[in-house]
Amino acid sequence: MDLVTSSLLVMCAFAVLTSFAALLSKDNFYSALYMSITLLVIAGVYALYNVQPVFVLIAFVFVGAVGAVTVVLAASYRYVRPQLNLNFVWAIPVAITMAVLAYTLYSYVRYGVNIAYSETVMLNFARHYTVLALLFISLSILLMMSVVKFIRRESV
Amino acid sequence: MIAVVLVASALILLVGYLMAISSKDLVRLLISLELMFGAVFLALFPLFSIPEITATAFGIAVLAIFTSGGELMILITSLIVLDKQIRSISTDEITAGGDEA
Repeated sequence: MDLVTSSLLVMCAFAVLTSFAALLSKDNFYSALYMSITLLVIAGVYALYNVQPVFVLIAFVFVGAVGAVTVVLAASYRYVRPQLNLNFVWAIPVAITMAVLAYTLYSYVRYGVNIAYSETVMLNFARHYTVLALLFISLSILLMMSVVKFIRRESV
Repeated sequence: MIAVVLVASALILLVGYLMAISSKDLVRLLISLELMFGAVFLALFPLFSIPEITATAFGIAVLAIFTSGGELMILITSLIVLDKQIRSISTDEITAGGDEA
């Protein structure tokens, strides 16, 4: 097993562990921090295989913007619950589903990681999906305008 | 090795589901949603292994990141507005379907 594959295994294990830490933490602030670490590790998996644009989008847009706001909100509404934030009635079926899914995927998916990303992919994307990119920019601007309008209306 | 990535993705998704079911306040619900979206991003990773659809995989990743970011922004706005209106972010305060109690 080479270094990249070993790193992939470690990163996947670390992402799962930090997601469990987010679930089991009694404090929302630490839960948000663990969630941010999980997302950064997921972005790191893309960086490991040199898919840099996706790493940038996840790390800067998703973790950097939305994740940071979540951490700030969790710090603002910070209170530690005395008991664990876990519904044990639902934990059992979820654990069974996890076991079945993990066994099925591990038994039947036999492909190796062979990432075919290159610089030409970005050029192809820019050439074929210009309208899609413009649509996303328009969607984001519209969404932000409607959110600002909504907040202003509520504050009156 | 793709199996390991998919198993990790499925585990994170189920942790997100369990967290959403167990959440007592909207901040925790927001965190659980972000975990679920993180699992989706990890599940997209194997698509980059197929040379014919790498550009399409990148398009799907961009689509997922933008739409999930927009959705989370709306949830954050709702959280702030709810706190302004009822001075609480507890999920117990929210009546079913947004109906008045």
